[in-house]
Amino acid sequence: MAKKLIELKNVTKSYDGAAVVNDINLYINENEFITLLGPSGCGKTTTLRMIGGFEKPDAGEIVLNGVVVNDVPPYERPINTVFQRYALFPHLNVYDNIAFGLRNQKVAKEEIAERVETALKLVSLPNFAKRKVTNLSGGQQQRVAIARAIVNKPKILLLDEPLAALDLKLRQSMQYELKEMQRKLGITFIYVTHDQEEALTMSDTIVVMKDGVIQQIGTPTGIYNEPNNRFVARFIGESNILDGIYVRQNLVRFMDVEFDCVDTQFADGEPVDVVIRPEDLDIIDPKGAKLIGVVSSSIFRGVHFELCVMVQGKEFVIHTYENRKVGENVGLRVDSYEIHLMKVEQGEH
Amino acid sequence: MNIKKLGRLALPYLVWMLVLVGIPLVMILVLSFMKTDGVSFTGATWSLEAWQEMFSVTDPTNLKILLDTFTFAIIATVICFAIGYPMAYIVARSPFSNKFVILVLTIIPMWSNSLLRNVALKNILSETNILDSLLSRVGMDFVIRFANQDQATFISIIVGLVLTYLPFMILPIYTVIEKIDESLLEASMDLGANPARTFLKVTFPLSMKGVTTGIIMVFLPCFSGFAIQKLLSRGTVYVLGSLIEANYIHDINFVSMLSIVILFLIFGSMMIVNKVDKEGATLV
Amino acid sequence: MGVRKREPGKLTLFLRRPKVEQAIARIVSVFKYAFFAFFMFLMYLPIVVIAIQSFNTTTGLIYQFNGFTFEHWKNVLTFDLDTNLANAITTTLVVAFLATAVSTVAGTIIAIGIHSLPKKKRQGMVFLNQVPILNADIITGISLMFVFKIVATILPGTFGMPSLIVAHIFFCLPYVVLSILPKLAELDENLYDAALDLYCKPAAGITKVIIPAILPGILTGMLIAFTMSIDDFLISFFNAGEINNLSIYIYGGYNRRLAPEVYAYNTILSTVIILGLVAMYVSSALKKRARLKHDLHHA
Repeated sequence: MAKKLIELKNVTKSYDGAAVVNDINLYINENEFITLLGPSGCGKTTTLRMIGGFEKPDAGEIVLNGVVVNDVPPYERPINTVFQRYALFPHLNVYDNIAFGLRNQKVAKEEIAERVETALKLVSLPNFAKRKVTNLSGGQQQRVAIARAIVNKPKILLLDEPLAALDLKLRQSMQYELKEMQRKLGITFIYVTHDQEEALTMSDTIVVMKDGVIQQIGTPTGIYNEPNNRFVARFIGESNILDGIYVRQNLVRFMDVEFDCVDTQFADGEPVDVVIRPEDLDIIDPKGAKLIGVVSSSIFRGVHFELCVMVQGKEFVIHTYENRKVGENVGLRVDSYEIHLMKVEQGEH
Repeated sequence: MNIKKLGRLALPYLVWMLVLVGIPLVMILVLSFMKTDGVSFTGATWSLEAWQEMFSVTDPTNLKILLDTFTFAIIATVICFAIGYPMAYIVARSPFSNKFVILVLTIIPMWSNSLLRNVALKNILSETNILDSLLSRVGMDFVIRFANQDQATFISIIVGLVLTYLPFMILPIYTVIEKIDESLLEASMDLGANPARTFLKVTFPLSMKGVTTGIIMVFLPCFSGFAIQKLLSRGTVYVLGSLIEANYIHDINFVSMLSIVILFLIFGSMMIVNKVDKEGATLV
Repeated sequence: MGVRKREPGKLTLFLRRPKVEQAIARIVSVFKYAFFAFFMFLMYLPIVVIAIQSFNTTTGLIYQFNGFTFEHWKNVLTFDLDTNLANAITTTLVVAFLATAVSTVAGTIIAIGIHSLPKKKRQGMVFLNQVPILNADIITGISLMFVFKIVATILPGTFGMPSLIVAHIFFCLPYVVLSILPKLAELDENLYDAALDLYCKPAAGITKVIIPAILPGILTGMLIAFTMSIDDFLISFFNAGEINNLSIYIYGGYNRRLAPEVYAYNTILSTVIILGLVAMYVSSALKKRARLKHDLHHA
């Protein structure tokens, strides 16, 4: 059974009277890659900073290995951080940057040399020890920042949107490398990002946040397939969200048509939000189709075509390998297990 | 947590400023409306005597001094601008390797004592001067002749003020022009403006920040100083600062009043600079 | 209806012809050089005169060049001077070094403090910081005099050297702060947190990480502070009491002949500073060239 490494209990943090992190409860296991995901201002970075010790919670407790650490400063926590713009020390070269933490811990010279070399190998920068950090590319600075953190063998590594400043291809390869690194090192990675694709790619667990409140915690597939509410459904992947009525057991009605579905936890006649992923809709012959519409736009996305189909005035987004011409009449089909129902939340639309 | 705490390091500075700037400010204001014996308040009475002495209609000597002070300061500032703006522009637009050298060349005179430079200037502007004496050995002349002594003094003072404060006009303007993004000028020409028009419509307006700072950095010292004027006129010309020098020991109220007159100008210019340049970028 | 461009006039067409453009460019260039030369001539003439005077023998009139001598230079370098002048020079240098040292250290700490403040408070402190810079020297001098005179009634003997040094610290601090703030603004905002993250205690975080990163700003501020202090007249005039610094000494002699050693001292000081700057520039240029070579061979 996975051991709880960090626990956040009713943690709240406010700025200028407004709660940026609002009474959140969260636990994080050993050897876990967990991502805090959400739009700007949702409180994810503040939460990360509180775990690192750079901010103090206004209320609640942060518990590390059973010990409350609210008042423990960053330099006394077994945690290291990779900052968003790397925060490399400009006056030190690569070696000295990486050795910085070790020197502060009074580690012996020979051991420092060994560990720095290992760290550089791990981030694929074996000969960079003497280089000046200001001459490195973004990707290289990124790796030095990671090396500088992990060389201290922390129990927990915090990463604050570390890939935000890199170009697309580099970001994608770094995502893979970070995931591999976490597996190899066996330590907990707490990762912050607003990029849902990044979160889905790398995480064991995703924590979706909005306005300082946790919206949903789950595995990538779990959250993708079964979002709890409209916000999560919209934020993760693309979706078509419709108003519907749960007619009775395994039957839901939307767009004036009844569909079989597999969700059962709703009452007869209850209004529900219906979520269907674009890739789950199939284009079929309009004859005999339950949903019929007209193609209003077609965009080539490299891997697939993104079609917009207007059905009774509502726009459906479909991902398909077969193109259709704008103006064509088409039918849409969806399987019952691909219809996901969510409770309608108050004041949501 | 820690960054916020670091802000407390600035607190002593706040106190320091309040004591060394705030308290005297209040004192000056109060003293100008009183008649006291030095800085002590024993036997003090409220009085408008200081102000009357300055702005009296019956004896306008002080008012004339005020006028002269303005005259010198304004003329010197205008000339500094006329020479300083082109200089700043030329240096800012010169190729990169030259820039540093030229800048240093412009600043080097500032490392000679400014009073001594003005003493030397007096020498140069006199009928018998050292350059003439040297050059006469090779058969040349170097004498600057004036129509009369008054003109000589007047021009000497203007030249002295200009030479002393010209770098203060050049530096802020240089800083601002140097920062103007090349692509702005290219955009201007792309949109049909020739170089002259680009200068008028783009460069010059963008440089106004530096010009304002430069004007203030020249005008204020010209207006409030007395040493240069005294040196170059052998003590015959009086400006506002000279009145302060003459009275600071025995008539502190008059001096306070004069300080307030100067402070009016300073306050106005600080408001302007603060509006125009919030992070102090043009001052260094 | 499109925008119709006006047909360029005959004059404009003429001016655009390549040869004409070249000629104009050349004239402008000549004008630029002429203007620059004129400016240099103006600014350096007094300095040249000062240098000449430092070699002038004292037997005749001051406004005549009577003969060439190294005597005055020798007197300055061996410090064989009239007591008043010797004291004035000593005072100037001692005050300058002390004020520069104190204001550099204090200014660095204060700048870090101001930089860490929230925006409104920071802008307020920056405004306060400008006050001594924008304030006329004479007002600063008088203001400080008021405060120091009052202090002197409680602590006798403080009006003189002590008040002079504090006064210099007062007007040097803002320049130091102003030199450092922009460098602080350029730093990665997480640099200090990174130091703490890597097991640095707060004070060590500042000395090991922040200060090395802003060092150029600190050095510039130090240089400016020194320059301001060495040349100051007005503020010193009102706060020095009985003692003189060099500027006061020169001012005092406005109606009589100045000791030629003053000219020699000034020329020597200027030369030293210029040589120092040249040395720094050359050494940093050489370092750059060496590093380029190194990087080229080891890329």
